[in-house]
Amino acid sequence: MISGVVLQSGLLPEGLNVSFKFAPAVLVAAMLALFLGIGYAFRVADTEEMWVAGRSIGNVENGMAIGANWMSAASYLGMAALIALSGFYGLAFVVGWSTGYFILLIFLAAQMRRFGKYTAPDFVGDRFNSDTARAIAAVTTFLIGFVYAIGQARGMGLVGLYIFGDIGLPGLSGYQSMVVLMMAITVGYLTLSGMLGATKNMAVQYVILIVAFLAGLYAVGFSQGYSTVLPQIEYGTMIAELSSEFSEPFVNESYYLWIATAFSLVVGTCGLPHVLVRFYTVENERTARWSTVWGLFFICLLYLSAPAFAAFGTDIYANNIGPVYGDPGMTSAAGDVIVVLAAQLAEFPQWFVGFVAAGGIAAAIATTAGLFIAGSSAISHDIYANIINEDASQRQQVLVGRLSIVALGVITTLAALDPAAPIAALVSYAFSLAGAVLFPMFFLGLWWENTNRQGALAGMTTGLVIWLIPMINEVLPTYIGNGEPYSATLAATVPAIGSALVAVPIVFAVTIGVSLATDEPDLATKRMVRQCHSPEPMSRMQSAEDVAATDGGEPVSED
Amino acid sequence: MVERNTQDSSVETDGGAVRQAARSHRETNYLDREVNLLKPSTPFMREHLRVVWTGFVLWALIVFGPVTLTYVAPGVMTTQMPVLGFPLHYFLVAIGAPTGALLLSFWYARKRDALDAKYGIDHSVAETDDGDATVAADGGTDE
Repeated sequence: MISGVVLQSGLLPEGLNVSFKFAPAVLVAAMLALFLGIGYAFRVADTEEMWVAGRSIGNVENGMAIGANWMSAASYLGMAALIALSGFYGLAFVVGWSTGYFILLIFLAAQMRRFGKYTAPDFVGDRFNSDTARAIAAVTTFLIGFVYAIGQARGMGLVGLYIFGDIGLPGLSGYQSMVVLMMAITVGYLTLSGMLGATKNMAVQYVILIVAFLAGLYAVGFSQGYSTVLPQIEYGTMIAELSSEFSEPFVNESYYLWIATAFSLVVGTCGLPHVLVRFYTVENERTARWSTVWGLFFICLLYLSAPAFAAFGTDIYANNIGPVYGDPGMTSAAGDVIVVLAAQLAEFPQWFVGFVAAGGIAAAIATTAGLFIAGSSAISHDIYANIINEDASQRQQVLVGRLSIVALGVITTLAALDPAAPIAALVSYAFSLAGAVLFPMFFLGLWWENTNRQGALAGMTTGLVIWLIPMINEVLPTYIGNGEPYSATLAATVPAIGSALVAVPIVFAVTIGVSLATDEPDLATKRMVRQCHSPEPMSRMQSAEDVAATDGGEPVSED
Repeated sequence: MVERNTQDSSVETDGGAVRQAARSHRETNYLDREVNLLKPSTPFMREHLRVVWTGFVLWALIVFGPVTLTYVAPGVMTTQMPVLGFPLHYFLVAIGAPTGALLLSFWYARKRDALDAKYGIDHSVAETDDGDATVAADGGTDE
């Protein structure tokens, strides 16, 4: 199905100049030192700050953090790769990853802020009064962080090759050595800083990655005579000259897969714990709304540029290396570095290509940071402090948090040594999971007060099972089989890359059905949901639960 | 599925209606009113949901409309646009959808602010009355 894209090839991108380069290396080292410095300056010791940055972040800063947190290696590298390699189908990623923010804005952002807890599993556990639901959500959050970060590690490894060359750790290939090095750096800085440092870092990381991406785009477009002031629009005139595979609809993938992918990415956006937690870090619900608008604006800057970069990259590749499409064509590894490759083939000085590459590393590190924080808080806050050891001290919680970041780093590194798919595809598996399991819980939990514990448990279990089916059918064979799905029909109906299209309606139906068949939730829970929607302002540190438990500043009626 | 209650939409600019909206807001205990996406139970929720559903329908058209039209009528949709040079479907999907969603988001946030103003809701008040200096110290140990 997406076999053309999933093709493995030793993961050495052809055409990329793999060697140690001094200026780019200094640039990356300086950038990482800056991140560590910021992380150190804002290091934290208590949980309130570690998880939600004291709820102190404002509009534009949170918008940038949303942007940096969001724009991972999948956006910086993977999206241009997919657009270049799979043409019109790649645009499903542009659409799904940007327009989903509107759904998040109108249905979830402000209500989540009003709910005001720490983590996504917190929401599920407290809303449905169930430690089992909390545990399922925590495990899902951990799993999302793991699957999502594999793509980031792959991106960092590939781009790192351009800068540092083959550092040759014993027993590992050049790509694998680089994955290990980059992940070690990421984990090191994360265990020091936590969320406050991470948020401060994210604004910086956004600036670095967007400047690097746009500088690369403008420089390539200008020097090659493709574009002048607005490459985001100007690449239109060159589409006719590129191979028809670049723009012709539904030649690579079907209409169904296009819709399934875009839909999964939209609902995944609304269900991702590390996105959701950004709304817990802001002052109030109005900031939650406007920072979403800002976030989408910052995201669009890159998403409108990526197709242009892909068009330029495709043309340069075709002129310098060989045909992009057909056999052998461009490999997925080369595709995943096309942004860097385009800058290199346009014969810019090494430091400039290194700068573009460093942007990719900043993008990957920023997102991995958000994911690992979400994953580790799920373990330390939701499973350890809420279920295993209810008397856990702050120190113990932070320690468990740090240990789980290290654990996540280790298993992600191992999985990324021989990844199953290109960056964007790897990441989309995590979106399908978030869309299938967490999005329906957030949506129904906030918008239908009669959703109850039994409904949530049944729905989440259903979502997990439906997500696992294509993962076993399609993705498992790339590790232990011949790479072909066990059932081609199943792969066409429930594709791994877009399984949420099938899962979400079923999970909604199961959750609603079971909720209707069992007892309604108690009044305290309903009042908490109502407080999430009340237009009455709340103070910064209040959660909906606090307000609902009191009179909410209003007369309590006696019914 | 959208409840189309238009009782006061025609008089939004009228001062009397604004006062009435603010009064109905003060008299509503939101903790006693059901939350149901399809059955808004307060005037505020009704107006808010009208904005939400309008935005949602427009969003769905912007996001899935062009690609579906391309599937239905590939010939028309892939014609080259004058000046810009894009095939029409490519432009509507790659540029139209993200930009459309961004404009819709801006529109929604503005609408929601206007709604807050109409109902006399001020978010700047609540921010100032918390003692954030003391909060960080205990760090939510009551969890």
